[in-house]
Parts: sequence; C-alpha cells; structure tokens
Amino acid sequence: MAKPSQSKSDGVRSAAIVDGRLELVLNNRMAAIEDGRRCLVEFLAGQVLDEVVRHRLEVVFEELVSNTIRHGFAMHSDQSIHVRVEPRPGLVEFTFEDDGWPFNPLEVEPAEPFKSIETAKIGGLGISLVAELSAHLSYERLAPHAGQLGFAPRNRLVVAIAT
Amino acid sequence: MEMRHDNVGEVRRIVLVGRLDTAGVDVVETRFGAAIVPNGKNTIVNLTEVTFLASMGIRMLISTTRALSRKGGKLVMYGAGPGVRDVIETAALTEIIPLAGNESEALGLVG
Repeated sequence: MAKPSQSKSDGVRSAAIVDGRLELVLNNRMAAIEDGRRCLVEFLAGQVLDEVVRHRLEVVFEELVSNTIRHGFAMHSDQSIHVRVEPRPGLVEFTFEDDGWPFNPLEVEPAEPFKSIETAKIGGLGISLVAELSAHLSYERLAPHAGQLGFAPRNRLVVAIAT
Repeated sequence: MEMRHDNVGEVRRIVLVGRLDTAGVDVVETRFGAAIVPNGKNTIVNLTEVTFLASMGIRMLISTTRALSRKGGKLVMYGAGPGVRDVIETAALTEIIPLAGNESEALGLVG
C-alpha cells in the first residue's frame, strides 16, 4: 500500500500515497471502516507520533467514516468517501469528502455533559468526541459550478489533530 | 474482540481484550451485558488489553452500567492505557463510571 500504486479490498476502492499524503477512496460498506483503518495504520507507521495521537487519529477516522456510511448514504448505493491524510508540522490533517446527504457536524448540538448514569444520553457521542479531540474542524458543502457536468454535490470536512 | 470473566470474592471481574470499535462492540456487547447485569453483582472491568475505544464502546459501557445500577450494582473500570484513557477523560466518562489505575484500587471503589 505504501506506494503510489493502488490497492483494493471490499471496503477500499483505492489507496495510494501521493506526495507524502495518503489518499483513500472508501466504498459504501461497513468493511470500509476496518479496511480503511488498516491503510491508515500502515501509513501512520512511517510517522513519528505518540500513542495518544495515533489513537486519536483512529478514533476520528472510525467515527466519521462509520457516521457517513450509517447515516449519510443510501443503502447499497455506489457512493464513496474520499479520505486524504496529510502530516504537517505540528498536526495531521484529515480531509473527508463524500457524496452523501448534506451533513454539517458543526451544527450538531454538543453531547450534554454526563451527570448521572441514569440520565446519560448515549446518542451523538461520536461527533462530540471528534470535536473535542480536534484542534480544528471545518465543513463546507461543495456544489457544482455552472456547466460542470458529472460533479455530485459533496460534503467536505477538514479535521486537524495536533501532534 | 474477546472477553473473559470470573469472580473475585463477591465481585464480578471482566477482562476485555481487543478493540472496542464498531466491529468489536458488535461482537462482545451481548456477552458483556449477559456476564454483568443478570446477577447484579458489583463489577470491575479490566481495560488493560483494550487497544482502542470510541463512541460505540462508550455507549456499551454506559448502557451496561445503567442496567447494572438498576439492579443495585456498581461498575468500575481500571487499567486503561494512554489512548483509551485519553478518550475516557475527553468524553468525561469518569463523571458516571469511575476509572481506577489498577485492580486493587478498582476493588476498593466497588466496596
């Protein structure tokens, strides 16, 4: 996988390293979470990162990929998630792009602080966790320009994890 | 994802091994609840060999602890490594489920 040539699996449509960045295209299948994670871990093995940062990167990947496949795509559709992972000084930046339903995680109400085991809410924890772990999080909805054929509207989410 | 369980005196001891991610929770959640909730015993959960924790795992821990508390039992986690501990603390899970450093501390907390 650690070459510009591409590799494939059930969950991963393509994986390549281009100019020091990992470029993944993930299929609309739950297998994309684990197959994509393996590509991410292999790529990160070549980076100098401490254990907590590696874990944070895997958490962000797991939460956002699983959220898109569970809630952003039509079942069994041919939709896909493009993931770019780019190490930069002091951070690792993810860019997630998908052609699913519009979804801006910045508009999600933060999970309520836990007060008691009886009242603790267990929905929506994933996006709140991503927001808490991130040094930077931004969202835009990409739309085709006039005359631009074959371009499906996309969600683009950029998440930076401090190293 | 694997799970072992036994008793330390009157306390239930659970050892989780592997990744508490989407796939891991799917595999272990039913057995985890079945090993803890029905008898209502105070429970300690060893996270030493848990290598990954995200929201699905947090959800499993909360729902099982809630079901146990309704039977009068307490649950305490212990032994989390740096990455797992980071997520537990970031999510402020320790507000509702105590996290001990080791087994003897965990046993002290469940009383």
